Amino acid sequence: MTYAKKRGLHGLLFLAPYALSFCVFVLIPIGVALVLSLMQFDLTAPHSIKFNAGKNYADAWKDEYFWQALKATLGYVVLMVPGLIVTSLGVALGLNGMAKGRNTIRAILFLPGMLNVAVTGLLWRWFYDGEFGLFNFVLKRLGMNPAPWLSDKGYAMPSIVMMSLWWTIGGTSIVLLAALQQIPKQIFEAALLDGSTGPALLSKITIPLLRPVLLFVVVTNTIAGFQVFGQPFLLTQGGPERSTRGLVQYIYETAFNNYRLGYGAAMSWMLFAIVAVFALLQYRVLRRSIA
Amino acid sequence: MGIKSSLGLLFAIALVLGLVRSDFSFKSKAHGPRVELSFWNGFTGPDGIVMLGLVRRFNEENPDIQVTMQRMDWATYYNKLMVAALDDRGPEVFVLQSSWLTRMNRAGFVARINDVYAGEKGVPANDFDPQVIQQVHVGDAYIGVPLDIWPFGLYSNADELKAAGFVDAQGNARPPATKEEFLKAASTLQHMGPDGHPDVWGYALTNWRFNFQALLTQFDGYYFNKQGRADLANPGNVAALTFMASLNEGKRLIPPPENGLGWVGFRQKKVGMVIDGIFMVGDLLRLDDFHYVGAPLPVIGKHAGTLAESHTLCVRKALGERQSAAAKKFIRFLSDNSVEWAKAGQVPARRSVRDTEEFKKLPVQSAFAKQIPNMQYMPKTTVIFELNQEIDFAVEKVIRGRSTPVAALEEANKHVQAFLDRDKTERTGEDAQ
Repeated sequence: MTYAKKRGLHGLLFLAPYALSFCVFVLIPIGVALVLSLMQFDLTAPHSIKFNAGKNYADAWKDEYFWQALKATLGYVVLMVPGLIVTSLGVALGLNGMAKGRNTIRAILFLPGMLNVAVTGLLWRWFYDGEFGLFNFVLKRLGMNPAPWLSDKGYAMPSIVMMSLWWTIGGTSIVLLAALQQIPKQIFEAALLDGSTGPALLSKITIPLLRPVLLFVVVTNTIAGFQVFGQPFLLTQGGPERSTRGLVQYIYETAFNNYRLGYGAAMSWMLFAIVAVFALLQYRVLRRSIA
Repeated sequence: MGIKSSLGLLFAIALVLGLVRSDFSFKSKAHGPRVELSFWNGFTGPDGIVMLGLVRRFNEENPDIQVTMQRMDWATYYNKLMVAALDDRGPEVFVLQSSWLTRMNRAGFVARINDVYAGEKGVPANDFDPQVIQQVHVGDAYIGVPLDIWPFGLYSNADELKAAGFVDAQGNARPPATKEEFLKAASTLQHMGPDGHPDVWGYALTNWRFNFQALLTQFDGYYFNKQGRADLANPGNVAALTFMASLNEGKRLIPPPENGLGWVGFRQKKVGMVIDGIFMVGDLLRLDDFHYVGAPLPVIGKHAGTLAESHTLCVRKALGERQSAAAKKFIRFLSDNSVEWAKAGQVPARRSVRDTEEFKKLPVQSAFAKQIPNMQYMPKTTVIFELNQEIDFAVEKVIRGRSTPVAALEEANKHVQAFLDRDKTERTGEDAQ
């Protein structure tokens, strides 16, 4: 065996454990979900399980709850992704400018991200509680009216986004901070000597040089945003009036409360297609601006 | 330490662990291997501890059977049960809520257990009220044994009632029994805070849907008509929902929807009265400084009535002969000893158990049990989850003032009928129309 072949074989051996788990836990379930999506598959009616071609997809297209859930999901993505990018960038810039205590602040910011979504959800449910919650306690102390954080359609989604920001800002900030630290200081020094001011430094140097990382952060967070489930499920259970019931929650209810696995799988594939389209669009647009 | 001493130590540890596992019991065992039974339920609260006590007692009294109880949150319970049971790996005995029985039964893993009711040692079917035993009756077969009943009733803060003059001849707190009394109590128990808003509410809605479903029974409301078609916008349902909406109008008698007060507010003495299930009494038993009283729902509609559900004990299909016999013995034991279970916050399903002095001493349970002749179960339907979701949504829209009762219920009805049609078409291939 030649050296190159031997090396290739070793590489494959190292890859094998991950490849195996990827096949078992990702590829095969994806394939099974695809087959399921083409079937009438209700666990509570095993005798009526059969192939129904694309009927599940057609039904989902006509399902008003599907579109309602998609609208709620889009609402979350539209609020969450720009919100996260702007706040994380602000935090990263602040941290980058700090001479002392940067590591401590970074660790504190990163801490919420280490919590499980269930813990975070319970904590924020208490924060938002209309009568006994922390936020309304503070508002009342300040002589202001309590806010219906989770029980009003206008407040609920922004409240969920606020919790998500608190939960995820640390990770995104650290990624952006790492990218900021890669920008050579000489570029800023030269710009300052040429008379550039803060806003110009940000818009002409920092943002353009951060674009590859911003592309990564925007695309990954958009994908995560479309998959949001834990936060609304724990905080509002999709209410009030289904205004925060996202697509993943609707899929979950269809497949695991109603046991209609076929229909749930079809909607999952539709969600996948939507996410893929959005991610590709973002990638193309941002990629072009980098070039 | 040498090899010999290490082995000696290991042997000693194994011996001690073995003794602990066997409860230091050296009693002679029955002939043949012990029958192992797995018993699943969703009793994750204090009720689970009571059930565990019953299981332990059964194991002690029946050394030839070993029941292992596994409890999990109801939210995931049905998923796990469904997947396990369909693959013949499920528990031998399990609990189903009566409203889920129809759907689970269709999945095909619930056994017919007519013989549990047969013979002298059997559970006497005539010891159950007709509407209770009817929940487990499918065609000519029984598919479960109702363990308990959980009617919804009125919980009141006894101190508040007394202070407002709602007392009986003995000076004890007397909860309202009629619509007029209820409205008067809801108004009188309300106390204004220094900011001009109520600090303590007379009444608050707990689970909105349950409150509606409890009330609709008093207005002759129902879910499906005699032809089996959805009929949610019937006059009884509309009247019940209209009454609920009226509490939010004029002089507001319930906290604003965004307030979130409900059961927690009641526990914290910020609400005077709430409607909830008997299962919530366990939560109050833990409070030392709170005086409460349980009573049937006040008659707000045409007559007395309330919503009820039951936990039913079921057996998985295709068990071996010995396992099947052991499962049925265990179910009979739980049914016979359901007064113990009642202490966890339930009403026993069997009349003879409710007639015992032990049960009558449980004040809230026995008060709620008075409603049994007038209670109404949720409908037997395979679209129970979808139905509940639609009712949830309709009630929410009305309470928030975004829809009228008629419009909200008609909208819900349209969807439920669509679910029924889809279900029928998928099952039979026929057009549901």
